[in-house]
Amino acid sequence: MKMTLSQWLGLSILLALLAFSLLGVSLSPYSLSEQNLDAIMNAPSMEHWLGTDHLGRSMLTRLSYAVGLSFVLSLLCMLTSSLVGTAFGVWAVWGGKKVDTILGVVVNILLALPGLVVVLLFAAIAPGSFLVLYLAISLVQWVEYFRVVRAITQGVIQSPARQSSQMMGFGRWYQFKRHIWPAISPSVFTLAAFGGANAILTMASLGFVYVGIQPPLAELGLMTVELFPYYSDAPWLLAQPLVVIALMVFAFHLLAGKRA
Amino acid sequence: MNVLLKLTNVAVYVGDTCLLEPISLSLNQGQPLTILGQTGSGKSLLAQAIMGLLPADLRVSGEIEVFGEVMALEERQALWGREMVMLPQEPWHSLDPLMKGVDQVKEVYQFVREKDVQEALALANDDLRYVGLEGNGHKRPDELSGGMAQRLAITAATAGGAHVILADEPTKGLDVSRRDGIVQLLQARSNLGSLLTITHDVTVARQLGGVLLVIKKGRLVEQGEATQILDFPQDNYTRELIAAEPCAWSDMAPTIRNNSAEDILTADNLRLERGGRTLFDGLSFSIKRGEVVGIVGDSGCGKSSLGDALLDLLPISAGKLTRINKAAKPHQWLKLYQDPPSAFSASVSLGQLLDDLVTLHGIDKARIAPLMSRLSLPQGILTRNCLAVSGGELQRFAILRALLLDPVFLFADEPTSRLDPITAKEVTTLLVELASDAGCAVLLVSHDAALLQKTCHQVIAI
Repeated sequence: MKMTLSQWLGLSILLALLAFSLLGVSLSPYSLSEQNLDAIMNAPSMEHWLGTDHLGRSMLTRLSYAVGLSFVLSLLCMLTSSLVGTAFGVWAVWGGKKVDTILGVVVNILLALPGLVVVLLFAAIAPGSFLVLYLAISLVQWVEYFRVVRAITQGVIQSPARQSSQMMGFGRWYQFKRHIWPAISPSVFTLAAFGGANAILTMASLGFVYVGIQPPLAELGLMTVELFPYYSDAPWLLAQPLVVIALMVFAFHLLAGKRA
Repeated sequence: MNVLLKLTNVAVYVGDTCLLEPISLSLNQGQPLTILGQTGSGKSLLAQAIMGLLPADLRVSGEIEVFGEVMALEERQALWGREMVMLPQEPWHSLDPLMKGVDQVKEVYQFVREKDVQEALALANDDLRYVGLEGNGHKRPDELSGGMAQRLAITAATAGGAHVILADEPTKGLDVSRRDGIVQLLQARSNLGSLLTITHDVTVARQLGGVLLVIKKGRLVEQGEATQILDFPQDNYTRELIAAEPCAWSDMAPTIRNNSAEDILTADNLRLERGGRTLFDGLSFSIKRGEVVGIVGDSGCGKSSLGDALLDLLPISAGKLTRINKAAKPHQWLKLYQDPPSAFSASVSLGQLLDDLVTLHGIDKARIAPLMSRLSLPQGILTRNCLAVSGGELQRFAILRALLLDPVFLFADEPTSRLDPITAKEVTTLLVELASDAGCAVLLVSHDAALLQKTCHQVIAI
């Protein structure tokens, strides 16, 4: 697959953020929850490159941790939902009418519920659990892959090319590899990039309403809401998590590229 | 005589490469002009250059005169619909798939000729009646047959009142009877102005008459009265084109069946239904080893469905189908497709596809080279994918792939209908020869009765 300039730009932003997160977590002299009440809401300085928050914690440490968490979650959700969605999408077409009907019912039920509400429901049952958050977001996201993959695969299954391969005795894995995957992969990659951005936004939204990751851990949405009361005293603090969220979403959208 | 369109030294270039060498012609009122040539000979470029539809990276030189005035690109584009119109090659690509047929014609009257809605609808209905589409106006294009859709497209395109009609392969993919109808319709539509037709079909050129230009690889080889050229061709290329018409072929197969050969398949009282409609009923026949069997019939009569049923790709509704040759494995019953590019995966090179097959069935690689040279396939083809290879080469590659599996039965579903005549002749000849050598039975489906007559031992008409 050839990447366009904007896709390279998106990838570079993501890699830069990832490097920031890894270096920040491993090299920072401060720990995530280390408070210094003598130095609260400091402006960026030599000791604290990005300043300190209302409890005197290092913003750089917290931000790098939060970015790392967002990345881990978004990548895990992306992988899980794309694998599950693609597998079920192909199975729905190949498995015959019964499988298709059953999967169709399940998917329609999921589609009838607003995605964020489902995630909120799960998050409210077990607040602060990363695992539940991951499961809930993946559960919502695989549906998109399923719909798209199923629609494209239906065309490919009917195509003379696949029929001809089947008649020549090639097995199902070969037919998937040569016929179905080349047809669906561009769409799956695009969906995956958007899915990554959505996972980050969902997690931040949950943090913002206090049902996501719980303090004292750092998470972008949680940091935003914690720093919100101080927006007029220390606007640079509130700006940091917001800019990072915007950058990550922007980068994923650039990576998705535009379809010709 | 009124000159409607005059080209002086019109040529088309991409970069510095010449795609169409300088050509001059004039289109007179009431005298149709036909451009004959193989696919890829630059015929369509000429029509696009006249209309001003060429892609941006192509350059035109020379002068194009319309109604006696030299016109620039924008001036010609202003004539679209009202004075000059180009008919689409395949109607499916030019009709709105979601709009009723009558509305597509009505809108032309409404917006191009600026009639009010009622009058436009009445005129559209008149037009449809005139081309025999009465009662079909409420259908969407996908509910119409190929010939009906083409008639609808022609009606919609000419409703704007254009006098100069450019038709680019108007009969591509239509059966003989439908083709003749389209030619007559075009003649009727252009009797006030004139008609410029681009075709690879010698019969169409013969029917249209008028002036004929033969083009080969972007170069004009012959020009003159149609009847004169077709009856007394001067150039070798023209002779080749005429000889490639199925009715001019020499017989390839003995007409007498070899009764001693064993049957590989018998069909007894076969009935086939699709979409609630009975396609045929009570069909019985048998196919012998190494025999070439033809199926002929109009489009939509179930020719292809019969072949698919014999390959177990479609269920039969009644009757009995017996495969007598029990020794043959499932992968020795194969099919050749109508549209070669759609029968291959474009994701990898053709060589990779061939390797996959060799690995799967443990085929002796030494067999490939001689077969390739027999099919005159160049080695270089293996490094390209199916979209970068011409239709004729691809269909020969499909034959190669099939023959490597030692088939006992090969169903060729209009294998040459999308190829131009010279290529079609080559491919059909090779298919019949090589299959007979290998003792493989071939079921050849075609809408061209002449083609089947020359190639088959047995012809089944549906």
